[in-house]
Amino acid sequence: MPTLTKVPQKRIFSTLQGDQARRLRPWALGLVVLLAALGLQGQLYSGQERTVATIFMFVALAQAWNLIGGFAGYASFGQVVFFGVGGYFTAVAMSHWHFNFWTSLLLSGFVSALFAVIIGIPLLRLKGHYFAIATLGVAEGMREVVTNLTDLTGGGAGITVPTVGSNATTAYLGNDGFYQLFLGLAVLSVIISGLVARNKFGYALRAINQDEDAAAALGINTNRMKVLTFALSGFITGLVGASYAFQQVTIFPERLFDVDITVLMIIMVIIGGSGTVLGPLLGAVALQFLSEFLRQNFTNLHTFILGAIIIVAVVLLPQGAVNYVNEARRTKEFSLLANVRKYRL
Amino acid sequence: MSAFLQATIYGLLQGGLLALVAVGFSLVWGVMNVVNLAHGGFVILGAYVGWEMHQWFGLDPFLGMFVAAAVMFVVGYALQRLLINLVINGPIFITLLLTFGLDLMIVQGMNLVFSADYRSIRTSYASQSLALGSVRVPLGRLLAFSLAVGITLILVAVMNRTRTGMSILATGMDRGAARLMGIRARHVYALTFGIAAALAGMAGAMIGTVGTFNPSAAASFTLMSFVVAVLGGLGNMYGALVGGLVIGLVQAWGGQYLPGTWVNALAFLVLIVVLIFRPTGLVGRKYYAARLEV
Repeated sequence: MPTLTKVPQKRIFSTLQGDQARRLRPWALGLVVLLAALGLQGQLYSGQERTVATIFMFVALAQAWNLIGGFAGYASFGQVVFFGVGGYFTAVAMSHWHFNFWTSLLLSGFVSALFAVIIGIPLLRLKGHYFAIATLGVAEGMREVVTNLTDLTGGGAGITVPTVGSNATTAYLGNDGFYQLFLGLAVLSVIISGLVARNKFGYALRAINQDEDAAAALGINTNRMKVLTFALSGFITGLVGASYAFQQVTIFPERLFDVDITVLMIIMVIIGGSGTVLGPLLGAVALQFLSEFLRQNFTNLHTFILGAIIIVAVVLLPQGAVNYVNEARRTKEFSLLANVRKYRL
Repeated sequence: MSAFLQATIYGLLQGGLLALVAVGFSLVWGVMNVVNLAHGGFVILGAYVGWEMHQWFGLDPFLGMFVAAAVMFVVGYALQRLLINLVINGPIFITLLLTFGLDLMIVQGMNLVFSADYRSIRTSYASQSLALGSVRVPLGRLLAFSLAVGITLILVAVMNRTRTGMSILATGMDRGAARLMGIRARHVYALTFGIAAALAGMAGAMIGTVGTFNPSAAASFTLMSFVVAVLGGLGNMYGALVGGLVIGLVQAWGGQYLPGTWVNALAFLVLIVVLIFRPTGLVGRKYYAARLEV
């Protein structure tokens, strides 16, 4: 295990209490943000409420991707498969087996985690682009499987979760309910990410990211760590997918296994700063907000401008905003041009 | 039996085209370690250049594809020289995201300029077919297949026998050493990307002749290029040809004998099985699969 070498503190007041306060500061800040988010709900009309709920959804998705892609460094390009599996499990459980939503939600998380273990054991032996493409293949393949299991999933025509009448197992949550549900998932994902970041587990993942052979030599069971992380990441993504399926009522394979959802998660993490807790949070909020703004103001050009923004962000800030600020504060080198020079040929 | 033969012929013809679609993708991946998500966009852009040439100048698409190749070469060279070279040393997500951003711009740009309508380059001969016993061979597809295989073989010869080709391969093996030998890596990378874009453009023009296309078809060509490149393997210029023909056959047979749309899952099943059991691909070299990203 890599140990943190403590630099001797020069400050006189660096007592135990100071350390404690510094450790608690992010949690206190998080609590303030959470209360603000709950307070904000009363101020929004229903359209805005849905938009903000979608931001929360992407916060949870980005945090989930960051576990496997950011901390462990395995770029899962098929992450949406857990979203789809979770969503379809909930839809099938509620409409065919008459489970209530909360049971289905929890089970969806575990089913997605199990699926992550099953595909993770063979695929996590692959590295780099090969892992990315294999997971992409799994996601695309699963979409076709779900499309063809017509009896269970309704195929391309979609499946509808019963929300009204005697068939409804759980009353539809409405805008207010889904706002709180997605907020809860976002908070859960941030807490999990925060715990992983400071835990032995998180340091093991960072070691795997930097040099997998060296990590194994240090006694880290790299395979188990990677599969566990993939399962945890799949668990959160599955929960989000299940909630999304209930919110949408009718779901289709095209949407639930849409590769664009994966790509959005990745962009949010990269732009914010991968391998950090704050990065995916900021990235998800910034990108989703921007995307919504562009959609409303430049309906036709919105995807085009989004593409241009991604290119500029990637060229100027390849390591992400949070990592850039951290590095710049340490090295006192704030120039973006110097930043570009780092990865240039 | 005749249905099987027909499917086999069709699969081989389609496979040759797929090989030409994917050979540039495989080249860029092997030499620069860049997975170009905008590759499908280049294919469709080439198809539109071919369509415009045919529409305005009455140029036959099999000649128009050389115009498409020239246009796409310039586009590809400029993109690599001015943009992708800026982040080429970054982690893999960076180049993936950059090319994804490019893909969004290209596809959406084409939607705005050409609209999302399906188009096809119509010629008098493409829809005719030769009858070989009970099997019919569509003329346009046969021509496209022959050209695609021919161009792929020419590319192999250029890569292995000319100074430029060898400097591209050398840069792919060890950029540092290549630069010490006086190879200008920036130019060579741009050249490689330009060649890949040109080949994609040519393939696009042919696809426009034998079928229909619209901007949103770009994603499926990128995915097919993935599958073909992985199946064939990197580091061997014949990889894409082998991969393309195998995938073409698998899909044709699957379409013939599988119910529903299960055939769509087949390509991905092949992809995953190959990655798990033989990550170097069918004819690829070990070095490229074992290589870790910078």
